[in-house]
Amino acid sequence: MKYAASFLLCLCMAVAPVYAITSANQEHDLNEIARVATLVVDGDVCQRIVTPRALQYMLHPNPRDRWSGGDNYDVNTPAFISTKKILMRLALMVSYPVDVNLWMPVPTTSRIQLVIRNHYDLSQFANNELDQKMPPEMQQVLQTGKTVTVRKKPEMISVLAPVRNSLDQIVGLVEVVSSTAPPTHDEQ
Amino acid sequence: MQMTFLDRGGRKMYKFGWKLVVLLSLSVACCQAADLLVLSQNHRPDPFGGVVASDAPGASWLHTIQISAARGGYASFQLVVKSETPCDHCQLAVKFSQPVDVYREWFHFNTPDKHYYPDALVPVRLPYTFEMPDRDNTIQGQKVRAFWVDLWIAPTLKPGTYHGRAILQDGASRKTVPFTISVLRAQIPAKDVVDVDANSYGYGWVRQQFPKTLAGSGPANEEKLFQLIQQYYRIFYENRGIYHILGYGHSGYVDPGFAPELTGTGEQLHIANWDKFDRLFGPVLDGSAFADTRRGPRPIPFMYLPINPDWPGSFLNWGEPGYQAEFKNVVGEMEQHFREKNWTTTHFEVFFNQKKRYKGFNWDGDEVRFSKDNQYFLIYKKFLQETLPANTPVHFVMRADSSWTAGQQMRLLKNTIDLWCVGGGEFVWYADQLPALKQRGDTVWIYGGTPAVQEVSSAITFDPLRAWILGVDGFVRWLAVSPGPHPWHALSDGGTETLVYSGDRFGLAQPVPSIRLKLQRNMVQDLDLLELEAKHGSREAIQEQVVHLFDNTKVSQWKHSPSPPPKGNPIDWSNADFGDALKPYDDQFPTPQPDAWQRVHDFALQQSKTLQSGGAQ
Repeated sequence: MKYAASFLLCLCMAVAPVYAITSANQEHDLNEIARVATLVVDGDVCQRIVTPRALQYMLHPNPRDRWSGGDNYDVNTPAFISTKKILMRLALMVSYPVDVNLWMPVPTTSRIQLVIRNHYDLSQFANNELDQKMPPEMQQVLQTGKTVTVRKKPEMISVLAPVRNSLDQIVGLVEVVSSTAPPTHDEQ
Repeated sequence: MQMTFLDRGGRKMYKFGWKLVVLLSLSVACCQAADLLVLSQNHRPDPFGGVVASDAPGASWLHTIQISAARGGYASFQLVVKSETPCDHCQLAVKFSQPVDVYREWFHFNTPDKHYYPDALVPVRLPYTFEMPDRDNTIQGQKVRAFWVDLWIAPTLKPGTYHGRAILQDGASRKTVPFTISVLRAQIPAKDVVDVDANSYGYGWVRQQFPKTLAGSGPANEEKLFQLIQQYYRIFYENRGIYHILGYGHSGYVDPGFAPELTGTGEQLHIANWDKFDRLFGPVLDGSAFADTRRGPRPIPFMYLPINPDWPGSFLNWGEPGYQAEFKNVVGEMEQHFREKNWTTTHFEVFFNQKKRYKGFNWDGDEVRFSKDNQYFLIYKKFLQETLPANTPVHFVMRADSSWTAGQQMRLLKNTIDLWCVGGGEFVWYADQLPALKQRGDTVWIYGGTPAVQEVSSAITFDPLRAWILGVDGFVRWLAVSPGPHPWHALSDGGTETLVYSGDRFGLAQPVPSIRLKLQRNMVQDLDLLELEAKHGSREAIQEQVVHLFDNTKVSQWKHSPSPPPKGNPIDWSNADFGDALKPYDDQFPTPQPDAWQRVHDFALQQSKTLQSGGAQ
């Protein structure tokens, strides 16, 4: 019995990478992670991550310094760490590479910002800017609270799901994303 | 009178004469053979028969060249083939008793100023048969093919005069250019006085730049990728530089091969497999990757480790006992592996490149701006100290790349950081701290960019020279392998992010050098000689003479800024404030002339003669 259980475990582990690449159930997995994320990610804590000072520089960049927003970007450490750890745990719900990223609207604007990204740097939306134009798929999640599945980039699938605060307001969203292509990076 | 001449017979004669002149002209043009000329290394040709504008002052087209060189290094010049008419089967040969490397110069169309500049150097086998114009380079109206010649002067070569010649065969026509090398007794030291570093990030760019070489997938493809990365180490080493490649991203993902494979979690996290890491880095760490270079095998002196906030300790455990347990297990096993492999001369760098703005982590490892972020360096230093055996022969060093708060960090992270990499301009503000840093045994580098191809050729020598004048250990070109998406026909940024190009287009599974890299190498050779001379004579006098010859400045101008750093707390400084404060320093230095370094080179060789004859004090 013990042998059979070990064998089954080994088989599951061996099959897992293949499953990640070929299974139609991948979307189901990501939806499940997204569903749990909506339940466990604390929107009030998320709202405390970006510091007011960082936000000021983002909203009012120095006209003589195009990098002022990035150079002054800062986060509230406890809020960032506790939220990032939850996102990392959510990604461990499956045995293949998944990132769970946190996106939040930039207050007083119609733009959106990536607030936390994760290990594999996977995203169908991130453009390495501090903030960016709101994609319609994200707008839809923020407005309706419904989960949206996105397949814009080949080999990638993202599920977007809302994040709520204690007032039951939708204050952000998670992007649960997986890819069949190996991750790479060339950041400077 | 003319009307009289132009009678019926005269008119006929006139018409015939005209035709004869046209025919003769055409015939002369068709038979006009290509010419072979010489340019010094400092004056780059353009493809139309001139010299690029920034290098034009002082340029001479020569029919012969005489060069003096020390042993244990290279001497260089350019051969230029000029032809008004197409040539289908020109052939170039170089006869010399010592090793010669010849490269064809690629003329890049530079989009910022819409001019052509030679930069990439494609190695050729001699005799080399070529055509004019170059069908590959596709330049309308091209009249020039240019070649870079590197003569290797072995350390063991007997001093004396050596003669060689370059021969151009164009049909029946043969042009010969003689050259003479005076080999001095002086020998360039094997170790460079200044580490000139070429930096890079990840290896996605290798796949983009080598689509033919890396076509396909599987283990063979991975092996080719690893060999290509080793080729980058080789090209910079052979050209008297060092190379860095960072193996992780801003969110902590480590590319395969840049770290050993791990198994388990928490207390049970251990290294499972060294195979990829050893295949990728083993040859550069034991020096065997450099076995057939002219400089000979030698382990690399520095290397980034994959350690980051999410490796080997998972960030999931940050702040909990499990994080340090994971760090300790894995880094301890790394130390053991490196020790067993006898990789004990390389400095393994614990370097944090992440920035908050990329949203992966909550603190800046690179260019710390917020003082609170310094605490993480202290934590990791403690982890290291509690992990490594006190008597380990393996060199783990903590590295910090610093700009905004360099002055603060040098004080706050005293005895925490072992390797400093500080912005070249701002370092001058804090140069008074250098003796203390050196006394502690720290390594100090400055960093900056790379001059564009449209700048004067001697511009490439400025920053390495500044490093030597300031007395730091090196200069880092922050990105030196990225020629942009269309380097061959549309160099987008003047090549300011590269000193090498992909050889993939030419069927070469290796990078190819650039003229700027060769000029940098040749100046480092001279710096090595000057350092020898400075050690035996008056450093102040020699350095004073060098900067005077270079751009008519004084050493004090290089070492001191006329303006202080911006006022107030660095957290409130902007890049504009920084630029304003640095401007008075930068403005002290005029654009150097194309021959600026040539004068320093001549001085270095003259001094070496004096030293050899026992004339130095």
